[in-house]
Amino acid sequence: MSDVKTLPEIITPSNKEVIVIAEQSNGEIRPVTFELLGAGRDLANKLGGILSCTLLGYKLNNLPEKLISYGADVVYIADDKVLENYQTLPYRRVIVDFLSGFKLPPHIVLLGSTTCGRDLAPRIAAHFETGLTADCTELDIGPYEHTNKIDPEKVGLYPGCLYAIRPSFGESLKARILGPWKNPQMATVRPGIMMPLLPDKNHRGEICNIPVNLKPEDYRSELIEIVHEVNKSVNLTEADVIVSGGFGLGKADGFELLGELAACFENSVIGASRKVVDIGWIPYQHQIGQTGKTVRPKVYIACGISGAIQHRVGMNKSGLIIAINKDPDAPIFKFAHHGIVGDLYQVIPELIKQLKSSKKTKEEKTLVRQN
Amino acid sequence: MVNIQDIFVLIKQVPDQSAKAGINPDGTIDRAKAKRMLNPFDRYALQAALHVKKTYGGKVTAITMGPPAAIEILLEALEHDIDIGYMLSDKRLAASDTLATAYALHKVIKYIGHFDLIFCGLQTTDGDTAQVGPQIAERLNLPQASYCEDFKIENDKVIAKRVVEGGFERVKMEMPALITVANSYHPLEYKSLRGARMVQHLLRNESEKGKYIKTITLDDIGADPVKCGLKGSPTIVARTDKVSEIGGSCKIHQGQSVEQLISEVINDTNILEFIKS
Repeated sequence: MSDVKTLPEIITPSNKEVIVIAEQSNGEIRPVTFELLGAGRDLANKLGGILSCTLLGYKLNNLPEKLISYGADVVYIADDKVLENYQTLPYRRVIVDFLSGFKLPPHIVLLGSTTCGRDLAPRIAAHFETGLTADCTELDIGPYEHTNKIDPEKVGLYPGCLYAIRPSFGESLKARILGPWKNPQMATVRPGIMMPLLPDKNHRGEICNIPVNLKPEDYRSELIEIVHEVNKSVNLTEADVIVSGGFGLGKADGFELLGELAACFENSVIGASRKVVDIGWIPYQHQIGQTGKTVRPKVYIACGISGAIQHRVGMNKSGLIIAINKDPDAPIFKFAHHGIVGDLYQVIPELIKQLKSSKKTKEEKTLVRQN
Repeated sequence: MVNIQDIFVLIKQVPDQSAKAGINPDGTIDRAKAKRMLNPFDRYALQAALHVKKTYGGKVTAITMGPPAAIEILLEALEHDIDIGYMLSDKRLAASDTLATAYALHKVIKYIGHFDLIFCGLQTTDGDTAQVGPQIAERLNLPQASYCEDFKIENDKVIAKRVVEGGFERVKMEMPALITVANSYHPLEYKSLRGARMVQHLLRNESEKGKYIKTITLDDIGADPVKCGLKGSPTIVARTDKVSEIGGSCKIHQGQSVEQLISEVINDTNILEFIKS
C-alpha cells in the first residue's frame, strides 16, 4: 500500500463543466433530460463546476428557460429547421463542432440511454477517442488510483473521476467504469432512474447560441417518415400494471386469460418472457427482459414465468411483484414480493373474480359516500 | 437498378449465460470454461445480410474478433451460407473496450476493402453497450441507422425502419452505410444443406479451411497496437460488486383453497388501488 501513496497526482485538463445533451421531440423536452440534469447537478456540485445543457431543435420557444429551471446554469441552443427531429449526421456535426470549440474540454458529457442517445453518444466518443459507458444506473465523482504497471503512462492518482456505474453480466454484477485519462468522460444514463430536481423559476442561467455548419456529407441520410403508434404500440415502459406470461401458460391461448386479468386494471398491458416470444405465442413488442424491454411498473404479475436471470433483469425494479407458478422452487419466488403456488388456470380466474367483486364493493362505498 | 456487391456482417462469440458452466460464484464469467455461443443479437444481423444477398445479390463477408475459439461462430455463419469469414485474433487485443474494439474492427474492414453495407447486431449480451456499431460508422465516416427492424434498397439507397420510443421512423441513406439490426427483425433462418455440408467438409479437411476463413492479426491489417487492447481503451472496469439477491423477502401463499390464497394476497397488497373504476 505504501507505494500507492507515492503515486503522482494527475489532473487531466478540463474546464470542470458537466454537459447534458438534451432530447426534445414535438416541442417538448423528453423526461430523461430532466433526470440527467438532476444527476448532472449533483456531479457539477461535487466537481465545483457548472452544469450546462445543449438543446438542438427547431422553434425552441421557451424550452431553454425550462432547462434552466430544472438546474442548467447554461443552455447552448441550436435552433434550425434541419435539427427539428433527431438525425444522426446533423446532430453529430453540431455537437462535435461545439465540443471542439472548447479550449479545455468539458469534464463530463451525459446523454440519455435512448434510441437517440445510444445512436449519437458512441459517434461523439469515437470522434474524440474518449471513454463512454453505456446505460448507467448510478453516477458519482471520486478519486481513482491506477496502479496497473502494464500501462505505465496511465499510473497515477486521479481526483474527480466520473464513476459510471452500470449493471453487467445480466445485472448479477454492478460494474464501476472509469476513464480518467481523457476528457470529456462520457456516459449514457438509463431513463427512469435518476431523480429530476423540482423546477425552480428563480434559478438563473445563460442561454447561448451555437453555430450550425453542416457539410454536404451530413445530408447523406434523410429522415423521411416519423410514425407515432400510440394505440398500436405496446407501451410497456409507461404502464402501471403489467400482466406477464411465460412458458408455464402451456399454450398461446393462455394470453387471452391474461388479457382478461389485465382488463381489470387501469393503464395495464400484457408482457411476456423471451421463450414464448421465440415460439411465436405473442409478438416481440411484449417481450420483457435482457433482450426485450426493461420495465418498472407499479404492479407486475408474472404468470407461469420461472424467473430466469434474463427475465428478472427486465422487471425486478417493479413496485409490487406477484408471481403465480405451480413449481414452488421456481426462481421467481426468490425475488417476487408475493408468490402464489398453484395452477394459474385456477388462480387467475379466481383473482379476476375477486378483483371484480371488490370493485363492486368499492363502487358501492363510493355511492354511499355520495349519498 | 440496385447493384450490391459486398455485404459485411460483424459477429461476436459470447458466453452463454443461460448455461451454468463457467459462471463463477461471484457472478463473473470464466470465459475459458463457459459455454460459448454466437451473440443472439448477431443472428438478426446475419439474417439481414443474407436477405440482402438473396434479394439484391452480392457476397456476404462475416467478420469477428476474439480468441481462436471464436472460429466456431464463423463456421456457424458458413453453415448459413455466408461466402467468407475473417477472424481477427491477436493477444494484443485483450481487454479492449468499445473504442478499442471499434478501432480494430474498422481496420479489418478497411483491410478487406470494398463494401456497400455493414450489418451489426444491436448489442451483445456480454457487454450490452450497443456502442461498437456506431463507433465503427464514425471511424469509417458512414451514415448509420441503429435499432433497424426492417429495410429495403431502392435506387442505390437503403431505406431503414428504426424502432424508436413510441413508434418508428424511416431513414433513407446513401450507401455505403452501417445498420445495427434490432431483434424485432426476422429471426435467422435454418442453416442451408449446402452450407452444413461444406462445413462438415472443412472440418474433415483442415487444409481447406483457409479458403473460407481468413485468420488475421494486427500486423496484417496495419493497426496501431497502442490503439488496441488495454492500452487503447480509455475506460476500465475499476471494480465490480455482486448485486445482492433480494431472496427471502417473498411471501409464499400456498396450501389453502385458491379462494383463500387470493383474498390473502389482496389483503396483503395495495393491488386494489390499480383496478379500473
